[in-house]
Amino acid sequence: MSEPIIEVTDLHKRFGSAVALDGMTFTVAPGRVTGFVGPNGAGKSTTIRVILGLDAPDEGTALVCGQPYQHLQRPLNQVGALVDAAALQPSRTGRNHLLWMARSQDMPTSRVDEVIELVGLGSAARRKAGGYSLGMRQRLGIAAALLGDPPVIIMDEPFNGMDPEGIIWMRRLLHSMAVEGRAILVSSHLMSELQDMADHVLVIGRGKVLADASVDELIAHASGDQVLVRTSAASEAAGALQRAGNAARVIDGNTISVSGLEAQHIVEVLSQAQIPFSEVTAQRASLEDVYLQLTSGEAEFRASSDRKAQS
Amino acid sequence: MTEALRAEWTKLRTLASTGWLLLGAIVLTVGVSAAVAAAVHVTSRTGQDPTKLALTGIYLGQTIPAVLAVLTISEEYGTGMIRTTLTAMPRRFVLLAAKAVNVAGLTFVAGCLAVAGCLLVGRLLLPGAGLDPAHGYALVSISHSSTLRAAVGSVVYLVLVALLSLGVATVVRDTAVSIGVVLAVLYLPPILAQAVSDPLRRHLEQIAPMTAGLAIQATTDLRSLPIAPWAGLGVLAAWAAASLLVGGMLLRLRDA
Amino acid sequence: MTSSTSPPSRPTNDPRREGFGSVLRSEWTKLRTVRGWVIGLVAAAVLCVAFTFVVGHGNQEGGCTGPPPPGSGPNSPGTNCYTGHPFVPTGPNGEAVADSYRLVEQPLSGNGTLTAQVTSLTGLIWTGPANIAPSLAHTKPGLAAWAKAGILVTPSTHQGSPYAAIMATGSHGIRWQYNYTHDRPGLPGAITNSAPRWLRLTRTGDTLTGYDSANGRTWHEIGTANLAGLPASVILGLFVTSPVSFQRSSSGAPTQATATFDHVTLNGRAVSDVRQSHSIGTGSQDYYPTLGTGSAHRPGNTFVLSGSGDIALAVNPLAGGDTASSSLWFGLIAALIVTIVVATMFITVEYRRGLIRTTFTATPQRTSVLVAKAAVIGVVAFVVGALAAAVGVPLGMHVLNGNGNYVFPTTTLTEVRIIAGSGVLLALTAVAVLALGAILRKSASAITTGVLVFALPYLLGQLLSGSAQEWLFRVTPAAGFDVLGVLPHSAQVDYPSTIANGYYPLAPWAGLVVLCAYAALALGTATFLLRRRDA
Repeated sequence: MSEPIIEVTDLHKRFGSAVALDGMTFTVAPGRVTGFVGPNGAGKSTTIRVILGLDAPDEGTALVCGQPYQHLQRPLNQVGALVDAAALQPSRTGRNHLLWMARSQDMPTSRVDEVIELVGLGSAARRKAGGYSLGMRQRLGIAAALLGDPPVIIMDEPFNGMDPEGIIWMRRLLHSMAVEGRAILVSSHLMSELQDMADHVLVIGRGKVLADASVDELIAHASGDQVLVRTSAASEAAGALQRAGNAARVIDGNTISVSGLEAQHIVEVLSQAQIPFSEVTAQRASLEDVYLQLTSGEAEFRASSDRKAQS
Repeated sequence: MTEALRAEWTKLRTLASTGWLLLGAIVLTVGVSAAVAAAVHVTSRTGQDPTKLALTGIYLGQTIPAVLAVLTISEEYGTGMIRTTLTAMPRRFVLLAAKAVNVAGLTFVAGCLAVAGCLLVGRLLLPGAGLDPAHGYALVSISHSSTLRAAVGSVVYLVLVALLSLGVATVVRDTAVSIGVVLAVLYLPPILAQAVSDPLRRHLEQIAPMTAGLAIQATTDLRSLPIAPWAGLGVLAAWAAASLLVGGMLLRLRDA
Repeated sequence: MTSSTSPPSRPTNDPRREGFGSVLRSEWTKLRTVRGWVIGLVAAAVLCVAFTFVVGHGNQEGGCTGPPPPGSGPNSPGTNCYTGHPFVPTGPNGEAVADSYRLVEQPLSGNGTLTAQVTSLTGLIWTGPANIAPSLAHTKPGLAAWAKAGILVTPSTHQGSPYAAIMATGSHGIRWQYNYTHDRPGLPGAITNSAPRWLRLTRTGDTLTGYDSANGRTWHEIGTANLAGLPASVILGLFVTSPVSFQRSSSGAPTQATATFDHVTLNGRAVSDVRQSHSIGTGSQDYYPTLGTGSAHRPGNTFVLSGSGDIALAVNPLAGGDTASSSLWFGLIAALIVTIVVATMFITVEYRRGLIRTTFTATPQRTSVLVAKAAVIGVVAFVVGALAAAVGVPLGMHVLNGNGNYVFPTTTLTEVRIIAGSGVLLALTAVAVLALGAILRKSASAITTGVLVFALPYLLGQLLSGSAQEWLFRVTPAAGFDVLGVLPHSAQVDYPSTIANGYYPLAPWAGLVVLCAYAALALGTATFLLRRRDA
């Protein structure tokens, strides 16, 4: 079960002088929602296009179910993708849009009506897609992705333009599909959209993976009760705090990071040991902060347990 | 109106395709004229019209100002930008007028260069094809009033074709279909005229935008023309005005 | 967790081949579900038929014998106008022919041989203005290259009857010809006083044999003809004719030839001794323009015959110029433009909307997608073209006939070829512009290029002339229009075989091969780019 279903290895791609992908490497496992998050221009869409065989990488490989996408037979039965919900022929009805896709995979027409029901498009499906609202287009795109009942679902920014009700519906849908054992890869440029839904997060920046961890790990890393202490005698301070039974780690020459102790107690411990300090700051980072920290700088975080922790 | 003009000018100016299209129009027009001037070989002493021959490139070159004019509005519909545009400039007649002025201005500039190039090509190449004073043909020169009329008229012709195309595209709204319609309206009647006999042929040539409009290029044997030069240009102008009027009305009546 | 919802992934050896049927059905679904395209394609066929009617209707054959009413313009019709076309004879194989000549006949019963020496052959060319009837009043000396003088055998003097003839010609030497299309050369050289030629025609049953000789003693057999069903009693005789010359004007000038025959001897049973002189096919109702009706004299032992006309295949522009396809081609161009727009949009719209990515996600084999699209639009365009032509060809001929036009006779096979050819023409063009759309990815540039390259040769043809025009229909995609060619080329007639007269430079299917090459080139380039480019 833990066998990865999408394997992306060392992708490189340039568009002219701009580097889009710079050693992108990750895997996506089934049975969970994997968030694919990074600022605009980080390389999310390019990576998804490479996975779907739309763009050719300069280097590296992307495998789906162990094969390059181009080698999949009836690929919509293996991968459902929502890349651009606006990619519709406006004068074709939503149902006919699904119909040609179904024809390309030898699916019966009845399947088209099933997915229309599933996404709640209903009678709108027989209207021209040009008249659809953003949310309806999104639902049609999701219907297209679900058409082949695929074990892998890839969605590029699926929440764009959705109303709150739609977002909740979407989260539930993706979650339930993950519970069914599918691999779900959802990209977003907003961590907050993924926070309550993703089981695992890939943070992307400048064409590579900055963080690849479960949400729990990221949150533990980010919002553990960390306190930063600035002192001219870092090693003495760390020693004193460790003797007091707390984890303390020297970050650089005059900063240490302490966890499991409140700032006030730290001040007490250091005062008793007569160690000078200039600043004691409690750290209360959210997932969003880690994300911003990761994506604004060169910082990289990879949970040590990353490969093992998966059940 | 000034703001609308400025806005539309900025839109046109900042599209990379505009410059290429105008350059393409000049190159295609002069190129075709040069090719025809190089290919033609005249032995008889009469029956040829050196100015008209030098301006042959307009036949094909006119497609590009037409495409430019179509794109000016149809691409806005294609990308949905028309809604932004109409939010910024809610007076739709003014908007269309601003587009028309800009398209006309750009076509005028490109047309002047293209026609000048054609005449130069005619001046340089046609004597080599046997169209020289020794064979009874005057050199192509705008010092002849009829040649000047043909040259100015050809520029006006291009401008009117662009305006006609803008009107058609405002009605049709789709790039592909608009271009198909414009090219059909321009090119089908002259071909049809070749396929039928008089008097239908003559009537067709009198009312079709291209054959009537291009009567302005004739400098010899004016009596055999289906329609007098300026009257012919007037027919084309009527076409352009009608298409812009219908386009403007529909632009105003329809939802964007 | 279980993977029960995952469909089993099937091992694939060659997904390309296995899935093509579904790609095809998918593309067909795409095409038929955009109403505008369906309407466009139906409109293309309707336009084609409608324009065929308009063009056919706009062609009124007829003429006016009186002058234009006073005060009217240079192009206004005259008075005493009529509709209807002059008589064009039909040859033994159903082809349109010219059969106008001066004959001195010698009815023959059974087998026999006629021998004669041609001692001179001279000619006159009409030089008068185009608007007066040709007469000997305005002429200058000149012998047409295919002026003919010799011995002829035919069962009947009805125009279009089978025949065989041995003849001296203006500048093609001695010739053996029969049934309007068959021709074999004999002795070369022109007839002069110092170089007369002897001719001999022998009838044995249904078999006719032609001989020539430079001296009347050593004879050389040029060829034989088998005119099945030749009656016992046939017309054997001397004839002279001289065809229209197109050397100086494109509308042609009639000519007349005069030949002197000496040593005319018949070996066989003559039905009667009366040698009657006839003028055949030179009446006012006959289409072939002649310079007078000719004459025959017998100075001394010689026969001097003057004649005008031709015995050969009918050619344009003399016979009027309407064919099974002559009112169709304009409608086809109109249909072509509509088809070009739809075929281009079939792919450029996908690029425009980003839909191409969805397509390639559903079918990653991009070549398959392009080939399927090409197949779908190609077949649909074929149906549109063939249907339009299937209605247009008979309709056009019907309207033309109704208007009094002469329509060149065509075989059913030729009509089927025009109908199928129109379909293939549209299909290949649709495939080519589809590929163009895949290459350029933009509607505007693809459609403009498509229309300029594929639909405008006729307009270019108006600007060009002569060989430039002919090359246009040889090497450009316009060669596809050669499939509409109906009129047979004839090497035994000097005539302007121009496109304006309905003669195409390539054989019908050869023209389609040229167009096919363009479509293949475009498709190949598109395939290459599709595989290389990111979607």
